[in-house]
Amino acid sequence: MSDAATEQGRDRARVDAPLKVSGLAPYAYEHELEDPLFLVPVLSTVATGAITGIDAEAARAVPGVALVLTHENAPRLALPTIPTLAVLRKPRVRYRGEIVAAVVADSLETARYAASLVRVDYAAPPSGPDVRLDPEDPGVRPLRRVMGVYPGQHTVGDVDGELAGAAYRVEGHYATPVNHHNPIEPHSMVALWHADLGPLATVQPRSTRLTVWDSNQGVVAPQGVLAGAFGLLPTQVEVISPYVGGSFGTKGMPHPHVMVTAMAARKLPGRAVKVALTRPQMFAGTGYRPETRQRVALAADEQGRLRAVDHEVFAPVSRVIPWVDPTAGPSLSMYASPTRRVSYRAQHLDIGPGTFMRAPGEYTGMFALETAMDELAREMGMDPVELRLRNEPEADPESGRPWSSRHVATCLTEGARIFGLEQQQQPGGRREGEWLLGMGVASASFPQMGMGPSLARITFTGGRYVVSMQASDIGTGAWTVLAQIAAQALDVPQDQVEARIGTTDAPYAIIAGGSTGTFGWGSAVVEAAQAFRAEHGSDPAEGATTRARTRMPQGVRGVRRMAFGAHFAEVAVSEVSGEVRVRRLYGHFDGGRIMNPRTARSQLVGGMTMGLSGALFEESYRDPRFGHVVNADLAGYHVAAHADVVDIEVGWVGEPDPWMGATGAKGIGEVGIVGVPAAIGNAIFDATGLRLRELPFTPVKVLEAWESSGPAPAATVR
Amino acid sequence: MIPPEFDYAAPGTVSEALALLAEHGDEAKVLAGGQSLLPVLRMRLNAPGIVIDISRIEEIKGITESGDAVRIGAGATYQDVLDSALVSEHLGLLHKALTEVADAQIRHRGTVCGALVHADPAGDVGAPVLALDARMVIQGPDGERTVDASDFFVDLFETAVGEDELLTAVEIPKHTGWGAHYEKFVRVSHQWAIIGIAAAVRVEGGTIAEAKVGLTNMGSTPLRATSVEQALVGKEATEDAVAEACAQVGEGTDPPSDLNGQADYRKHVAGVLTRRAVVAAAGG
Amino acid sequence: MNITVKVDGTSYTDEVEPRTLLVYYLRETLGKTGTVVGCDTSNCGACTVLLDGRSVKSCNVLAVQADGHEVTTIEGLADGETLTPVQEAFRECHALQCGFCTPGMIMQATDLLATNPSPTEDEVRVGMEGNLCRCTGYHNIVKAVLQASGQPASSGGEQA
Repeated sequence: MSDAATEQGRDRARVDAPLKVSGLAPYAYEHELEDPLFLVPVLSTVATGAITGIDAEAARAVPGVALVLTHENAPRLALPTIPTLAVLRKPRVRYRGEIVAAVVADSLETARYAASLVRVDYAAPPSGPDVRLDPEDPGVRPLRRVMGVYPGQHTVGDVDGELAGAAYRVEGHYATPVNHHNPIEPHSMVALWHADLGPLATVQPRSTRLTVWDSNQGVVAPQGVLAGAFGLLPTQVEVISPYVGGSFGTKGMPHPHVMVTAMAARKLPGRAVKVALTRPQMFAGTGYRPETRQRVALAADEQGRLRAVDHEVFAPVSRVIPWVDPTAGPSLSMYASPTRRVSYRAQHLDIGPGTFMRAPGEYTGMFALETAMDELAREMGMDPVELRLRNEPEADPESGRPWSSRHVATCLTEGARIFGLEQQQQPGGRREGEWLLGMGVASASFPQMGMGPSLARITFTGGRYVVSMQASDIGTGAWTVLAQIAAQALDVPQDQVEARIGTTDAPYAIIAGGSTGTFGWGSAVVEAAQAFRAEHGSDPAEGATTRARTRMPQGVRGVRRMAFGAHFAEVAVSEVSGEVRVRRLYGHFDGGRIMNPRTARSQLVGGMTMGLSGALFEESYRDPRFGHVVNADLAGYHVAAHADVVDIEVGWVGEPDPWMGATGAKGIGEVGIVGVPAAIGNAIFDATGLRLRELPFTPVKVLEAWESSGPAPAATVR
Repeated sequence: MIPPEFDYAAPGTVSEALALLAEHGDEAKVLAGGQSLLPVLRMRLNAPGIVIDISRIEEIKGITESGDAVRIGAGATYQDVLDSALVSEHLGLLHKALTEVADAQIRHRGTVCGALVHADPAGDVGAPVLALDARMVIQGPDGERTVDASDFFVDLFETAVGEDELLTAVEIPKHTGWGAHYEKFVRVSHQWAIIGIAAAVRVEGGTIAEAKVGLTNMGSTPLRATSVEQALVGKEATEDAVAEACAQVGEGTDPPSDLNGQADYRKHVAGVLTRRAVVAAAGG
Repeated sequence: MNITVKVDGTSYTDEVEPRTLLVYYLRETLGKTGTVVGCDTSNCGACTVLLDGRSVKSCNVLAVQADGHEVTTIEGLADGETLTPVQEAFRECHALQCGFCTPGMIMQATDLLATNPSPTEDEVRVGMEGNLCRCTGYHNIVKAVLQASGQPASSGGEQA
């Protein structure tokens, strides 16, 4: 089937573009409400300890201050299921930057000033805080499970035996830093507790008691959390989030400011309470990609077929939420190896918890695994593409289930051809003055998880079809793509279809996470369209409505579904300053059917750009005394800008995956970032003979590697 | 983030501004373009009682010829200076350095004199102004005085301008016909310099006749690399000859160590960047 | 203190605190919420507006500094339904994803093209360096600016 011939495969401009280019798209904070109040949180200045007293008198005395909220006067709520959200309940601090009070005033200036007057006294705990990452700490423990579902310790076959007797063997220690999402829109929210409802309203399931304008990846998350906390039915909490200014995982689950703002609104019924976190507040309390230390060992036979994959992960874990990325996940599924071992160890610390960040686990794990694969290729003197091709698994090595589709080989070979991959036998031979040039390759993968069904409703009204569901557009293009999918399934021009998403006033949908939106929501839309036509025919009456849910093919549990790709990088490395410049990046992807080339391309290029930024620049530094981030703003946390990004291109296989539901599309929001740092690091090796195993690849690290490797570029593997 | 409360005055003349400074002493902060001051206020690193906005004073605006020098008034923004034909013709080094300051938006508001008084060692203006032997025109209660750039920078964020004084202009001797280059080393574009090298050279018949080199962020103030300047004189303007003269530029400097690099790294890179800057300035 | 500022063609006179930043004056007092706040440190450029025709970061200007001057925000560019060439090019080239950086990008691109009507790609990248996009659509943004300048730029469609 030719995608180009279909409505949904067509390259369409975004439907939300006219509003966004005019400054008229209302993000959470931008909703205009009468006479709003402004909330400024007060963050803890210690990592652990008891709050012995809060002096809020001076703050309360400031004219214009409506409320100072502390654990002493906060509404008593049900214990939230997400432990970070248990804020202002007890006089205690669990990590530096936890919200310990909040000031609400009639202007942002006043709230900010009054917040500075709130004095919080703490009693230090008898010991600690524990905030220093140390793999040798006696408190480090092996993990039994990761994210509740992945095995923390898992061995298949005699890994040590294979490593000991291998024809070729490499082993390396890798490190990745803390990264912060840094969407340009800060976490923002407006909460309005409706005052004018009589007592009867409390028992009316459809009476909205609380309306929230919030920046999130799905309205169901704040709706559920707030309803649960305040003892309301979900239908009594309305969440409105039509436009979201970027997320990358950090707005997937509500953070403490959501609870605090809703609590403040509860005490100020009838008044809209607004909050927008500052950049340092975002660094403190909205999650991050935790640092990892990894060890990967690979064993291969004479022909380069893997005999063992051994992947150890060490990571810090917040005592508040035991968040650990599934970093070793790719080592169980990427390559055919008869023996495999993954093992996680964690150190529990008094730090804020990590959370999902674009390709959690795969991003860090594939950096180590794909660097190790390059090391193995070098050790063997084998072409790195060829080495990967020789280890393509027929079926998922772990479960034995067949792949729903897997076009890694095509991505590698087509990508190498389009990019013009040419590596040197001996690194260090290509130069332009002080700049050494090299190329590298790395594979990419991201699992396609079913996150449960979503519902879509199609209504015919005013001559148009309205598709509504609780889906969220965090920048992906969901507004556009869902309308396109509906138009095709209904067989009508797209201008007859309108999407309504980003509100709880719509059928339930899963959040935009795990790259599931397009295929998960899209399948529900297709089902709804088909059911609509079956029920109402091609000439529906005004108001005709049909609802349907995501349906995956029978037997989907019997296959393994993943998106794949291959990245190619060309770099120049200055032998005098250690600067690394990425001249070209190319990615070739297996993303199933591409629903809209324009939005898809943006997702993939965007992921790769973020990968480049992570490879070269991004690193959050923890304070050794308190564990919080010290470079907590965009002046200190470097992200790539226009001038840092030059030539990035993408291509794709475009083959629909029959196991992805009605769309045949795989999720592509995350696979674009996976593997980029490894491709760049491998290119640095090709250029210089230096093997960098620690992100980001700063000039200092490059020069240090050079110094320790001696003057002649070393081509051997440690 | 929002600054703390302060009073605000926008005097129309220098004497009014000086009167306000005399009245408020260390409670006052002078605002010209505000591109350095406002971030400081927003982050609450400073809480002045009054902000004196000098951007409405006509007499200190403009860029004029003043004998052998070009005079840049305190009201002149980076962009004004970049757009000035006088500066392009006679002060190539300053022009080059200013193209590297922050980003377009900040260059539209920020002022050269404001940056000099702010005296951030990572700022891009101090080194070229120092290298070009500028004279600072300072007005105070006792009238006008002139301070050489070499005596102007006292320490981190500290200059010869007193609490009751105003830097009203900088006069920079013309360096007509000199080659110039500003080599700024950053990890990410638009960020502060990790280090920067300001180099101006006069080449005669393929030989360096005169050289001036200023260093950004190699110490608590902008620095002049006098030994490099001396070593360059008489050298052929070739890569190798220049490299030899520049190699020891880091000697005797005390650069900072921070998340972008340790002092040793800065010293190492300085040698290379100085060579790059001088070669580029010499037209190589 | 009292200020009079012409914003998007309309003159406003308001009482503001000296410390009020221009961006908050635009957003909170005038309701011009199309100009957004992203970073607090003048790095991201999302709050870029034109002040007397030149781009500035409105989080780094006091409202009182704009007294007697003219401000153009993203909301003042289009003529009714008719977008400017820069806005049109951003829409066409898919130079936006989440859209939060877009107002600042468009204002900076507008300034850039006003002074350099036919920039090279490099000039665009450097000229836009004060605006961050995290999604990150730099590629298409550069294309959009080039297209708005009347220079050829591909539509950002399928490559494979």
